[in-house]
Amino acid sequence: MPEPPKLPLFADADETVQAIHQGDVDAVVVMRALEGPQVILLHGAEEPYRVLVERMSDGALTAGPDGVILYVNDRLCELTGYPSGRLVGRDLVSLFDGEPPKLVPEVTVEASLRRNGDDAMPVAVWSRPISIADTTATLVRLTDLSIHRRAEQIAAAERFARSVLEQATEAVVVLSPDGHITHASWRAEQLAEQPPVGRMFSEAFPLLAQSSEDVGMLARFSAESLDAMLATKPFHGVEVRLRGERNGKSAFLLSAGPLFDDNRINVGSIVTLTDMSERKRAEEQQTMMVAELNHRVKNILAIVQSVAAQTVRSSGSLENFAYAFSGRLKALAIAHDILTQTRWIGIGLSELLAAVLAPYRSADKTRVAISGPAILLPARVVVPLSMVLHELATNAAKYGSLSGRRGNVDITWQLADGADQAIELTWQERSGPKVRRTASAGFGTRLIERVVSHDLDGRTAIDFDPDGVRCTLSFAVRGQAGPSVTTLGSAVE
Amino acid sequence: MTEYDGYSLRLYVAGQTPKSIAAVANLKKICEQHLPGRYEIEIVDLMKDPALAVRHQIVAIPTLIRQLPEPLKRIIGDLSNTERVLVGLDIRPN
Repeated sequence: MPEPPKLPLFADADETVQAIHQGDVDAVVVMRALEGPQVILLHGAEEPYRVLVERMSDGALTAGPDGVILYVNDRLCELTGYPSGRLVGRDLVSLFDGEPPKLVPEVTVEASLRRNGDDAMPVAVWSRPISIADTTATLVRLTDLSIHRRAEQIAAAERFARSVLEQATEAVVVLSPDGHITHASWRAEQLAEQPPVGRMFSEAFPLLAQSSEDVGMLARFSAESLDAMLATKPFHGVEVRLRGERNGKSAFLLSAGPLFDDNRINVGSIVTLTDMSERKRAEEQQTMMVAELNHRVKNILAIVQSVAAQTVRSSGSLENFAYAFSGRLKALAIAHDILTQTRWIGIGLSELLAAVLAPYRSADKTRVAISGPAILLPARVVVPLSMVLHELATNAAKYGSLSGRRGNVDITWQLADGADQAIELTWQERSGPKVRRTASAGFGTRLIERVVSHDLDGRTAIDFDPDGVRCTLSFAVRGQAGPSVTTLGSAVE
Repeated sequence: MTEYDGYSLRLYVAGQTPKSIAAVANLKKICEQHLPGRYEIEIVDLMKDPALAVRHQIVAIPTLIRQLPEPLKRIIGDLSNTERVLVGLDIRPN
């Protein structure tokens, strides 16, 4: 039980009254019956000032004219990490690290506040003179800048990271140092079968190593150590596949790059999964194309060689050879032009006929009539077929219905019965001069027969009917390479 | 109880009132000048804990109490009159 308050001694009471009377004091302690002792301030004007300083969320102190700290509020003790007893009586400048702030009334300056057992804190310092009794003291207010700064920095970094991720077309995730996913780009969210943020990387993106070297490399790591490794070590370009139904067919390139802060401490990493499929497909296609091209060039050279050889044999003179050979070569060139224009995909049969026979149709299209269902020819039949047509046309122009002013050719075709990948084409000459199969009906027919059987894998029959030469070709358009026949409707030219 | 042969002084203040602030400043100045290395000051803020006033029967603020050396001595006011303080605390001027 505490002792009841004693009355002050008479002498003391006298002194107290005198002091109050003289204005030496500005607060008194009053004993209230129920509440106990209470401090009453004698000057009302001080109250707002006191409240201002005490209640401030900023650190505040009062310094005398000589720079000695007279008073500190609680917040300043918090900021510095020192109790008030260790601060009062010190020089104001001793609170600061490095350059102490130059105090200019009502002006805010920055300084570095020393702290007990902690790093210095950036602070904003504001000051104002105040008068205490007869002296001018300075009220100094200190605001913690570090929280603001840190928060701002964090916010700015967050915004930046988010915008980078939003822009990313790849699957990108950010890992914390312990391997948890903290951010994911849109594509990453798509790839993961469950929402990835918050999960360990190995959980969100279960991997299978793709190539045999990589299998060894990845297999060495358990899921946990893979997570740890991705979060802290650089890791470049391992081909992987993702487990799971959705992504079974896609190949990805896995890369990871750790992130470090100013103190070289690992703060996580950025992991990307680059979709290899497109690239792979493009690579594969390119390889295929190069191989195909090679094959075709070899073909062409072989054809040219054979054409040259045959032409030599059937040409009486060099002049004849030159003429015949160049004609055939031109036909070849046209065929290749067509192929190039259609990017070696193929061409419709009517288009091909129109192109090869164009010289004979320029004046009058009906002279060479073309009619039949629209069929897309694969690239590999274009050259041989062109050559056959060229021969037929050349013969017709030399001896047949294209040789005079009258006479025409009907070219018709149809898909062979029962086999929808084979074409039967008929070349019918009419109203031309009577034709006889000559002794060397010669190279033309032989070439036709050879090309159809060898290069088109088909059959041909050439009939030297007196009314007009009739040639029937039948050949398959479905092969190992090239697309199958597509009928697009009928076309009449 | 340890023997302390310096001055043990306790200053009762009321937060940031002008006289409280002045008393603190003045006391430190006087001690530095006249009792260098021979004093210890304890500041008691009665705004924070008024009950502490009971121990030394504090009524007026600021009040300075000399606890050591004994006997107890009391000075009321902001201690701006150095002479009066030295006399009151029985300090030989330096």
